[in-house]
Amino acid sequence: MLGILGKLLLSASFVTSIGAMVFYFISANKDEDRTLKLGNWLFTAKTTFLVIASGILIYLIFQHQFQYYYVFNYTSLDLTPRYLFSAFYGGQEGSFMLWILFSALFGFGLMKWTRAPYKAPVLFFLTLTQVFLLSMLLGWDIFGLKLGASPFRTIAEEMPNAPFLQTNPDFVPSDGSGLNDLLKSPWMMIHPPVLFIGFAMMTIPYCFAMAALWKQQYHKWIGPALPWTLSANVALLTAIFLGGYWAYVTLSFGGYWAWDPVENASLVPWLIGTAGIHTMIIQRKSSIAQKSSILFTILAYVAVVYETFLTRSGILGSSSVHSFVDLGLYNQLLAFMLVVTLVGLGLFFWRYKELPSPEKESSILSREFMTVTGAMMLLILGLVIILGTSSPILGRLFVENPTPPEISFYNTWSMPIAMIMALLTVVGQYLFWNKHDAESLASALINPLLVTSAVTILSVIFGDVRDLYYMVYLFCGYFAIVGNAWIMIKLAMKNPKVIGGSLTHVGFGLLLVGILASSAYNEPLVDQKTANYNAAVERGEVTDEQGFKVTQKEEMLLLNLNEPIMIDNKYMVTYEGYDLDNTVRRGQQTYKILFEPIDGGKPFYMNPEVYPMLTSSTQENIQWSVDPDVRTGLMSDIYLYVGGSSYVEQQNEWVKKNAEMMQNAASQDTAGIQKDSVNVQSFNMNPGQSIDVGNYTIRFVNYVQTDSTELPPNTTIGVRAEVELIHPASNRVITLDPLFAVYSENGQSYIFSPPAFASDFDLEFQFTQINPQENSIELTVTGLEEEYEPEWVLVVADEKPFISVVWTGTFILMIGFSISIFRHWGREKEKNSD
Amino acid sequence: MKPKLIIGIVAIVGFTSLLMYNFGESISTYTTFEGAGERSTAHIPGTWDDEKEAVFSLETKRFTFYMKDEDGVSKKVVYSKPKPNNFEQADQLVVIGEMRGDTFYANEMLMKCPSKYNDADPGQFTEAVEG
Repeated sequence: MLGILGKLLLSASFVTSIGAMVFYFISANKDEDRTLKLGNWLFTAKTTFLVIASGILIYLIFQHQFQYYYVFNYTSLDLTPRYLFSAFYGGQEGSFMLWILFSALFGFGLMKWTRAPYKAPVLFFLTLTQVFLLSMLLGWDIFGLKLGASPFRTIAEEMPNAPFLQTNPDFVPSDGSGLNDLLKSPWMMIHPPVLFIGFAMMTIPYCFAMAALWKQQYHKWIGPALPWTLSANVALLTAIFLGGYWAYVTLSFGGYWAWDPVENASLVPWLIGTAGIHTMIIQRKSSIAQKSSILFTILAYVAVVYETFLTRSGILGSSSVHSFVDLGLYNQLLAFMLVVTLVGLGLFFWRYKELPSPEKESSILSREFMTVTGAMMLLILGLVIILGTSSPILGRLFVENPTPPEISFYNTWSMPIAMIMALLTVVGQYLFWNKHDAESLASALINPLLVTSAVTILSVIFGDVRDLYYMVYLFCGYFAIVGNAWIMIKLAMKNPKVIGGSLTHVGFGLLLVGILASSAYNEPLVDQKTANYNAAVERGEVTDEQGFKVTQKEEMLLLNLNEPIMIDNKYMVTYEGYDLDNTVRRGQQTYKILFEPIDGGKPFYMNPEVYPMLTSSTQENIQWSVDPDVRTGLMSDIYLYVGGSSYVEQQNEWVKKNAEMMQNAASQDTAGIQKDSVNVQSFNMNPGQSIDVGNYTIRFVNYVQTDSTELPPNTTIGVRAEVELIHPASNRVITLDPLFAVYSENGQSYIFSPPAFASDFDLEFQFTQINPQENSIELTVTGLEEEYEPEWVLVVADEKPFISVVWTGTFILMIGFSISIFRHWGREKEKNSD
Repeated sequence: MKPKLIIGIVAIVGFTSLLMYNFGESISTYTTFEGAGERSTAHIPGTWDDEKEAVFSLETKRFTFYMKDEDGVSKKVVYSKPKPNNFEQADQLVVIGEMRGDTFYANEMLMKCPSKYNDADPGQFTEAVEG
C-alpha cells in the first residue's frame, strides 16, 4: 500500500518538476515575475512529494518490509539503525533520490539568494537536471517502454519468473539479503551524502553559466557562481578523501587510490571544477578568460553526468571494481548526458562570437597567463583521466574487447602534468599579488628556490632516492610548498583573509610529495630470508623447476603461534593467537600480532580481522572477508591484513566435510569418516614451549639429569625431559619424565627411549630424538584422539611512508578552499544586502 | 598571431597523438592462453577448473589452480598472493599476467561473482580480496 503511495509521490514529483521547469522557462524568456512565483510554488510541491516519498522508503526499510525489492536487497533484520538508515542511499535508486534531495535543497538557496536576470534561467536549468534524475525513479511502463526503476517495486515485479513466486505469489522473504559487509563502515555512511552534495552543487555553476549565455550577461554570474563552485569542490574533495580513506582501511588492495572508474568519477569533476575556479578568479580581477570560465563550468558538470553515465549504465561492466548494478537505465542516462552536453556546448558555441575577448594578448609573465595555463593543465589532466576511464568505449578504436588501461597510463601522464602545475602555482602566485618582469621575478624567487633545493637534496640523501625523475618531481613538489608558503606568510601578515589560494597550493604541493613517497617507497615487511629471496628475484637469479625466471616476489609472512620472527631488521613480530567475537560480526576473528621494535621503541599490537561474509556464504562454502589494520604514524604507516590462518582452514574443512556428509546421507552412503583408533604423533619442542592438542596441553618444561643406574650399560648420552600433561577439563597436571639414551652394544649405537605412561588418560610419551642445534626434542605421543595442528596466520604487511603527508595535504586543500568560500561568499552577501 | 596559432595547433596535435598512441599501447584485449604469447600483462578470462586441485602452499607462498579459458583449454595458474576470498564462488575469473611454458603466472586476478537471487542480473566484478 505504502509502496503504491511512494510510486505515486515520485510520479507526482516528476510531473510537478516538469511544470516548474515550464514556468521557469517562460519566466526566463519573458522576464516575468508571476510565472517565476508559479515555478517556485511547483518546485516546492515537487520537493515536498520527494521528501515524503523518501520518508516512506526509510519507513519501509526500518519496518523490514521485505516484499519490496529494495528493502530486501540492501537490508536485513540484524542491521543496526544507522546502517538501516544508510541503506536508504545504499542502492542505485536511493542514491538518485538523495542526489535530487540535495539538489532541491540547494534550489531553495538559489531562490533566496540569486538576483535577476539569472534567477529564472538558473532555476530552469536546475529543474531540468532534476527532471532527468527523477525520471530514473519512475518505474513507468508505457507500452513496453520502461522509464526508470522505482525503489518501491516489489519482489514480484522485480523477479516475475522466480520459481518461488510461481508457487506462492504472495511470498515475502523472512529476511533480507543484507548490506554488503564491506560497506558497514562509518566512512561509507557519510561518503555518499557528501559526494551527492558535491554533485548537486556542481550543477549550480553549470546553471549560472547557461543563464549567462541565455541572458547574454557574461560577467556578473561569476560573483554568485564562484562560492557555489568552491563549495562543490570542497564537498567533492571531502568525498574523495572519505572514499580513499575507506578503501585504505577496509579493502585489502593496499592503498587509497587505484584509478578505479568510480574514483575517477569524482576526481574528474573536481579537477575541471578547479580549473573553472581559477578562470573565474582571474575573470573577476581583470575581465578576461570569460570564455574559458563558461566552458570549464559547463564541462565540470558534463563530467559529473558523463561519469554517472559510465558507472551506472553498466557500460564499464568488467573494468570497475565496484560498478553499480545495471538497472537498465542505459538509454535514459545516455539521453541525460546528451542533453546536458549538447545544450551546454551548443549554447556556448551559439554565443561564441558574442563572448567578450580580451583586447590585448597578455604577456607570458602575467598572472592572467599563468592562471589560465594552470587551469588548462587541470583540464588536460581531467581529459586524460576521462580517456582512461572510457577505455571500454574508446579502446575499441584500437582493439576489440578492450581491457582497462594499465595503471601506468595514468601515472605516466599525471606526473609530468602535476609537475608543471606545481611550478605554475608558485610563479602564478608571485605574479598574482605583485607585478613582475623576468628580472624582478627571478630575484624574488631566489630564496624559495634555495630552500627548495636544500630540502630536495636532503630528501634525496636521507630518503635514498635514486631515480632522477623522482628527484625532479620532488623538487617541483617542494617548490610548490616552499614558494606558496613564502607568499602565504607575507600575505597573512597584511590580510589573513586572502591566503586561501596560496594555502591551497601548499596543500597541493604536500599532496604531490606525499603521493610519491607513499606509493613509490612502499615496502613489504618480510623476514630476512624472504628479503634476500626477493632481492635475488629482482636481480633475475631465481629460476623455477622448469628453468624459467621467477618474477613474482614473496610479500607474505607466515607466523606460527608464539614464534617471534624478525622482520625488516626493525621489529620482532609474534603471533599471539586470535579472539573470536560475535558481537560486531558473527564469526569474526581478531588476530593479535605483537610488534616489538628492536631499537627499544614501544611495542604495539596490530589487530587485523577476518570474518565470514554472511550475505554471500553458503552451507558448502564460507566466503571470508578481511579487514586490515592500519597503524598510523607520522613518518610511516604499517598496513597489515590476514591472508589466511589455521582457523580459517579448519573452518573451511569442517564445512566441506559437513557438506560431504550431507551428500553421503542423501545418497544412502553410510560410510562415515574413518578414524584411526591408535594415533601416533610426533612434536618438535623447545624447552618451555607448549602445544595444544585436542583436550590437552603438552608442555616441555626442560631437560633433567638422570640417575645413571637407570641407564643401560655403555651409555654415551642419557637425559630426561620434564613434560607436563595438562588436562584443563579436570584441572589436572601430570608430570612425566621420559628418558632418552644412546648406548652402544657390539660397536653399534642404539637409541633407548622407553615410554612413560599417563595411565589416567591412556597416553604414552616417548622422548625419541634430540636436536642439539635447534635446542629441541622430539616427543612422540601415542593415544591422542585429535590431530595436532599448529596454529599459524599468514599476513601481508606493508610499510607505507608518509601517508600522513597525503592526508595533511588533502586537509590543507580543504581548509584553503574553505577560506576562499568565506571570502567570496562574504562579498556576495554584501551585494545581496545592497 | 599566425605563428602562435601554428605552434598551438602543432602542440595540440602532437600532444593528442602521443596521448592516444600511449593509450592504445596501455590497453590490451581479453585473450586466451594460446593468444597470450609473449605479453607480460595478458588478460585472460576463464573459469576455475574444479576437477583439478587448487592449493595454497605455505612453503612457496603461492596459490596454484587450474583455469579453463574461453577455448576450453585448461592450464595451471600460479598466483603470488593468498587465495582470494571469493574464489570458489566466482563464475568467471580474469587472470592478468604472463604465460611461461605451460604455466600462467598471474600477478592480478579479478573475480566475477554471481548475484545470489537474481538470475537475470549478470553480477559484478570484484577485485580479489585476498584471504
